[in-house]
Amino acid sequence: MADTTEQGLTRREFLVRSAAVAGGTFLSIGVPPGSRSGQAQAAMAATPAFTPSIWFTMTPDGVTTMHIVKAEMGQHIGTAFAQIIADELEVPWDKVRLDTPLESVDNFAVYGLAYTVNSGSVTTEFDRISRAGALGRIALTEAGCKLLGAQLVNCYADSGRVIDKTSGRSIGYGEILQKAKIDRKFAYPQDFKSVKLKERSQYKIIGKSVPALDIPAKTNGQAKYGMDVFIPGMAYGSLAIPRTRYASKVLSIDETEARKIPGYLKAVKIDDSIGKCTGWVVALAETYPAAVKASRALKIQADPGPYGKLSLSDIMEEFSEMSEKAQESAAWVLEGDVEKALPQADKKLEVEYSSDMVCHAFMEPINCTVQHAADDSWHVHVGTQSTGFARMTLTAYLSKVLNKKPEDLKIFVHQYLVGGGFGGKQDYDEILAAAYCVKELGRPVKLITTREAYFATAFPRTPTFHRLKAGIKNGQLIAMNQDIVCGWMGPRFSVGKKFNNGTDWLQLDSWDAKKEDIDQWSIGGSDHWYYVPNHRVRAWDSDRTTWAVQASALRTVSNSYNMFVVESFIDECAHAAGRDPLEFRLAMLNGKGGNRGIPNTGYPPGTPSDYYMDQLWISLPWPQAGTWPPYESGTVGGALRLANCLRVAAGRAGWGSKRLPPNTGMGLAVSSAEERQSPTWVAGVAEVTVDPATGKYRVNKVTIAIDMGLAINPNNIKAQVMGAALWGTSQVTSERLTYKNGAIEQTNFHEYKPIRQADVPQFDIELIESGRHPVGVGEPASTVVAPAVANAIFNAVGVRVRHMPITPEVVLEGIKSKKT
Amino acid sequence: MPALTINGQSYFSDSPPDTPLLWVIREELRLTGTKFGCGIAMCGACTVHINGEAVRSCSITLGQVGNAAITTIEGLDPANAHPVQRAWIELQVPQCGYCQSGQIMQAAALLAQSPDPTEQQIVAGMNGNLCRCATYPRIVGAVKRASQIMKETANG
Repeated sequence: MADTTEQGLTRREFLVRSAAVAGGTFLSIGVPPGSRSGQAQAAMAATPAFTPSIWFTMTPDGVTTMHIVKAEMGQHIGTAFAQIIADELEVPWDKVRLDTPLESVDNFAVYGLAYTVNSGSVTTEFDRISRAGALGRIALTEAGCKLLGAQLVNCYADSGRVIDKTSGRSIGYGEILQKAKIDRKFAYPQDFKSVKLKERSQYKIIGKSVPALDIPAKTNGQAKYGMDVFIPGMAYGSLAIPRTRYASKVLSIDETEARKIPGYLKAVKIDDSIGKCTGWVVALAETYPAAVKASRALKIQADPGPYGKLSLSDIMEEFSEMSEKAQESAAWVLEGDVEKALPQADKKLEVEYSSDMVCHAFMEPINCTVQHAADDSWHVHVGTQSTGFARMTLTAYLSKVLNKKPEDLKIFVHQYLVGGGFGGKQDYDEILAAAYCVKELGRPVKLITTREAYFATAFPRTPTFHRLKAGIKNGQLIAMNQDIVCGWMGPRFSVGKKFNNGTDWLQLDSWDAKKEDIDQWSIGGSDHWYYVPNHRVRAWDSDRTTWAVQASALRTVSNSYNMFVVESFIDECAHAAGRDPLEFRLAMLNGKGGNRGIPNTGYPPGTPSDYYMDQLWISLPWPQAGTWPPYESGTVGGALRLANCLRVAAGRAGWGSKRLPPNTGMGLAVSSAEERQSPTWVAGVAEVTVDPATGKYRVNKVTIAIDMGLAINPNNIKAQVMGAALWGTSQVTSERLTYKNGAIEQTNFHEYKPIRQADVPQFDIELIESGRHPVGVGEPASTVVAPAVANAIFNAVGVRVRHMPITPEVVLEGIKSKKT
Repeated sequence: MPALTINGQSYFSDSPPDTPLLWVIREELRLTGTKFGCGIAMCGACTVHINGEAVRSCSITLGQVGNAAITTIEGLDPANAHPVQRAWIELQVPQCGYCQSGQIMQAAALLAQSPDPTEQQIVAGMNGNLCRCATYPRIVGAVKRASQIMKETANG
């Protein structure tokens, strides 16, 4: 790619890209390589398009097309990125369009890993796309100035025009591109670092609630999701429900009944030799309904494998036993000395918490369409959180299945709208299975899982078990211990290799001298921002659970259970100390020590709980250390910003002042999801009424205050925060996945019950613009609702529930046991 | 070969009469705005109008439809000018958008029946439509706004 880019450097294209370019003096740019297809690429080359950076292309009609590598899955990320670029570039909003680069080996070299996770898109890209936009503006201003015959010092760009302020004459961007050949190079990193960005007061588009560009197609049926693609000659596939969630082995397939179905083609036993799609059989037919019927008519004999007799109760029993063996744990947080401090306490708490499995249950069931083209290239059509990992995973799989070298495989992944992701569209089994069916059938295949097959092969959040200890002295929390036992998803994401000898990016080192591996996705949130002089977190990995249930990432990952545990327990401590839960929290959110935050990303490597956010969640090739101008860390301000959110939320909700009806309580919680290094500060208050006769409860109102630094699009942020908070409400009130004899028990929405319209509480959402670096908003608010509800139930009826979800049965039991 | 009337046009389907209408609409006639969510009428993503009523197209067969008039999201108004579509855009309801065709068809049928619904009627009328992004509060707001737009249009 570097070669082509060098060529592309001629004339109109200057470069703003990473050091991979030969010579390294200038950033290469990239032609937006094949935004759609080879044809589109050729067409683009024929028009005098101006592509001053990999992120956008400008054409003489005045239109700027933003190339968005992030998945569009409800967060309207394309609109946010376009707002940022358009503002610095000075493009009028009505001239902005979006497209999505095709994922390929070549485009990976240009755009890096296309991966959308961690609510990290704005956090990690804001700085560099701002700079790219600003450099584009400079190049156009220079060219426009020349055409106007003006002095550069007198020229500036405004809303798509370059203006000479002495004469008042101006020229539009489109006309500049028609008349001038722009050959401007910027030195990297000097020019990139030194370019002057706008002051916030100068923003015209950032901070405005412009309508999302992807919405109009979503209200008239024109929006295209992966399932909406048609390839000539394609057949349909439906997945038969495997005997167990993982590691069953297909022994025989009886097609007798399936063969009676008109249009039935064949049953394909999917090659599961890399440990994906285990026990999968796909029925292929000319139509989807025929494929579904056939997948249900197949009689499949399978060896259930090692987990065939495993059930949730066994897992929970194992967790409890594991937690007794301290020597098998790895320490995540080690502040002070918990063991020495505990005996000095005048009050001690020791309790257990646990949480059930839940799954993403996105409205768009898992699907994928694959074509093996005449030129031997493979085309994958799918809506996924990572077209990059999709391509890499399929490359590894096909190279094994077809016995080919990876470099001999030509694989392209076409991205579509994602009908809900939530962390669950980053396992690529359906892509491998569809490709294998294509190989076996010799035709393109559209594979759609039925909702039943989706649940049977879902990637759930692990069940968890926690032991909590606290020591209180003179009303102060002097020691806190959290033990976390669960299945670690990190090892599974590393495709079978446990942490790759410590070099894999999914692992962290334990805090103590042992430097053991800890899965960063199991402990998030336990490293909270309260100042507790003696604080310890220990983690245990149940590898059996990881594989048996296929533990995975679900919206905020481990924060979704750890915040429930931490914030419920802190509340317990407040009550035990005889202090108001608000005042108790605020006193500990004092920003002492490491809770002040990190001034910038240049903190020393090896700092516990540090995993280099800017080197992970990027959309560029992996940068070399120190090559990127560092942007401000989201941790700046630390616990003090969290305290501020809590004050705002508590005040708005009327904590301590609002008169509540009988059996009604308010509960507080704060959260800093997603990771310690990438916090979004959020506080929530839930108001809950409990029916003491039945234990049924209703969440009346949720108040959220969130500090995202800078709001790119306030109206959309409110939508994201509300959606996230309702996700949290759903998790604590009604979602539960169970596991028996190796299989997930729920089959469809009559058994797995996400929140519906009738259970929606009232909302009050306050956005706090602290003026810091902008951070993510898609997930964090989901973590505060569950603990706030638990704390509200306690304040309403005095029952402490230490398990998520909170069922009416458990609440009722608590009420009854109090009476006796 | 059964004939179908969808969005005012006649179509012929090759599918057997026990085929769920959803798959005829989506995969055979390629009107892909109608979505598959659950297959058992528990989520509402596949909602279309049959003779003006909101129906889950996954749970009615081609044979049961006969020559009834079917409207899909594509037939509501391709230019997004229907009051419900206008309200949906004005309030920026969709997130991932996958369930929204069904939500909009459900809302349009609800408003056709009760042009000025109470909040309770809206919640009850929309309760069968799941939205995993939980755009629920904006859906309620948009149904109210659509009702207002309908009145404005009628009076204007």
